[in-house]
Amino acid sequence: MNSPEKKIRVLVAKVGLDGHDKGAYIVASILRDAGMEVIYSGLRRTVGQVINSVIQEDVDVLGLSILSGAHETIARKIIDAMKENAIDDKLFIVGGVIPDEDIEKLKKMGVDAVFTQSSNYNEMTDFIRSHVK
Amino acid sequence: MTDKDKLLKIAQAKRQWEDGVLAKGLARLGQEKSPCKFYTPADVEGHDFLEDTGFPGQYPFTAGRNALPIHVPFWGRGKAHGVGKSVRHAFGYSGYGTPEDLRDYYIERAKGPAPAGGPNIAFDLPSQTGYDSDHELAEGEVGKVGVAVDTLADFETIYQAFTGDRDIDKIGSNWTVNGTTNIILAMYCALADKRGIPREKLSGTPQNDILKEFAARGTQVFPVEPSMRMTRDTITFCANHLPKMNWTSVAGYHMREAGATRVQAVAFAFVDAIAYLEQGLAAGLTLEQFYKQMSFLNFGGGMEFLKEAAVRRAARKVWAKIMRERFGAKKPSMWTYKELGGGVAGYWPMTKNRPLNNLVRVALGAAFAAMIGEPPVCEPPFDEPLGLGHSNEARQLAADAARIIAEECKLMDVQDALAGSYFVESLTSRYEKEIFDIIEKVDELGGAVAAIKSGWIKERIVESAIAFQRQLDSGEQIQVGVNKYTEPDEIEILIPRNSPYKAERLADAQQRKIAALVEFKKTRDAAKVAQHLEQIENAAKNPNENLIPFFIEAVKDGVSMGEICQALRRVFGEV
Repeated sequence: MNSPEKKIRVLVAKVGLDGHDKGAYIVASILRDAGMEVIYSGLRRTVGQVINSVIQEDVDVLGLSILSGAHETIARKIIDAMKENAIDDKLFIVGGVIPDEDIEKLKKMGVDAVFTQSSNYNEMTDFIRSHVK
Repeated sequence: MTDKDKLLKIAQAKRQWEDGVLAKGLARLGQEKSPCKFYTPADVEGHDFLEDTGFPGQYPFTAGRNALPIHVPFWGRGKAHGVGKSVRHAFGYSGYGTPEDLRDYYIERAKGPAPAGGPNIAFDLPSQTGYDSDHELAEGEVGKVGVAVDTLADFETIYQAFTGDRDIDKIGSNWTVNGTTNIILAMYCALADKRGIPREKLSGTPQNDILKEFAARGTQVFPVEPSMRMTRDTITFCANHLPKMNWTSVAGYHMREAGATRVQAVAFAFVDAIAYLEQGLAAGLTLEQFYKQMSFLNFGGGMEFLKEAAVRRAARKVWAKIMRERFGAKKPSMWTYKELGGGVAGYWPMTKNRPLNNLVRVALGAAFAAMIGEPPVCEPPFDEPLGLGHSNEARQLAADAARIIAEECKLMDVQDALAGSYFVESLTSRYEKEIFDIIEKVDELGGAVAAIKSGWIKERIVESAIAFQRQLDSGEQIQVGVNKYTEPDEIEILIPRNSPYKAERLADAQQRKIAALVEFKKTRDAAKVAQHLEQIENAAKNPNENLIPFFIEAVKDGVSMGEICQALRRVFGEV
């Protein structure tokens, strides 16, 4: 359990060419309301830029928002980069339009949680609160 | 008795009804307050039939943009070509994998139900944002949300599915592309040149609504100002050389999908459209030269169909006033907009849970569309949220639903059946005012270009999206099977889905596309490629130059979309 003065810090990131950012804004707003500090990356970031932000901003959670179907490729690159930079203790969450059959694949790969359009905000905030180390 | 006296009498009678019959009814059902409303002529006080509603096809067009809706002769009851059978229109948004994969899909689709006409092509994100398939940013995205197009050779491959009685002078093509529109248009012209088809016979619609990309969809390639210059190039090139080509399809729908309210979606689409028209006028064209080639995709939709119907009626009226009063258009044919859309349910209310319910959603929305004289398009097919493409079954059901609305329900037999409804008319007037309020606000901010650059429009959309999400989370808004009726005794209904898509081809699509591109680049005359790129860069520096003719010559010599955009980025900058 985090002490009340230490706020959970989250980076919500868009990687690749996907321009749909409604989900990213909504999630950022929900997490802020839940008392977390949220940084939004903006559109079209590379994996390298996002990993740098995770390190520099010292966030507890990296949330990747993706609706383009490129989630497997991009999640794989992020997980590899997190390991290389020894930051794989941080939570890595994927959210977006993710087909059911891909959710398990992502989790096996090392994604801590996957939230889709059918998830509600309680699931998300509860998961983050109970899993941030 | 004067009208005023009549309304007073009705208001008085309403109070008596509320205190008498209604109160008794509520008491019997144990209700404190009625959850329903009842509207009377008192709610449309001042409504003037001729001024506020009018006849279909006549100012102010509230009752319909055309005297006879143009879809009726094609889709109407008893017509030979029902829904899905017309070859004249591009239909069925589709695209994936490599150009070969998509070509084979179109060949296969033509054999199935509702074969439709020309292609309505979905491009992958690298093609939409001007990167070749082998670019670092394209990794993982090639062929995913649409087909990968790098060069004219790719375009030629896709269009191998459209020859003979479906050649490109007979079909319409639709391209969901914005920032790279002018390169796609150049490829189509080059394709026509190669097939010996006169360019003026080409008909089609690129989406080319770049302002809403900044506000809602995010595939802008260049900063706002040069993006508007590219739009000007599309306008003048189409006006001068491609008389059957629309130069835009203004899409309020994307802003609605991104969270805009129904009123915002219409208002923002209109302010964008105003900015494009001003761009054409500033380029020295008259409205007569380019207005008829402007179209709208649609304004999006939602599940509150009476409100959706009212906002569409208000949109027709507001636009008529904009064209007549703001632009001073003289011809009544210029007081209406051309719209390709249809149903009013929209895409975002579609759910992944119990997806067959989506058929109910779109079909009901389409019925309301029919009741205001819009085509009863039952799009999207119910399996839209389930991933790759629509199945044959879903497309059959969507076409049948529209056919049932037309042929069995006969809802197209009366034009604007909702006209005169006290509720719908009162709401139409309210929405008209609210749309104009937003347009005025944007004018105060300096117009759509300024309001996009400052982020004002985007902020309003995000604000609305968050507000709606809160209503969903709190249960104030219901989605059946998502946030209500999800107990274990409810059952998931699935039906077989067969698709002309070959999902397995996606596994190596990126690899195949990159290999083909690398091979293709070896066959080009490198000196010519370099020369074209230099010419494009120089032409881009001259704001008076139209770039499309340069693109046409370049793509003929194999210059790729990514290379052209890279040259342009050097001049225009990046986003």
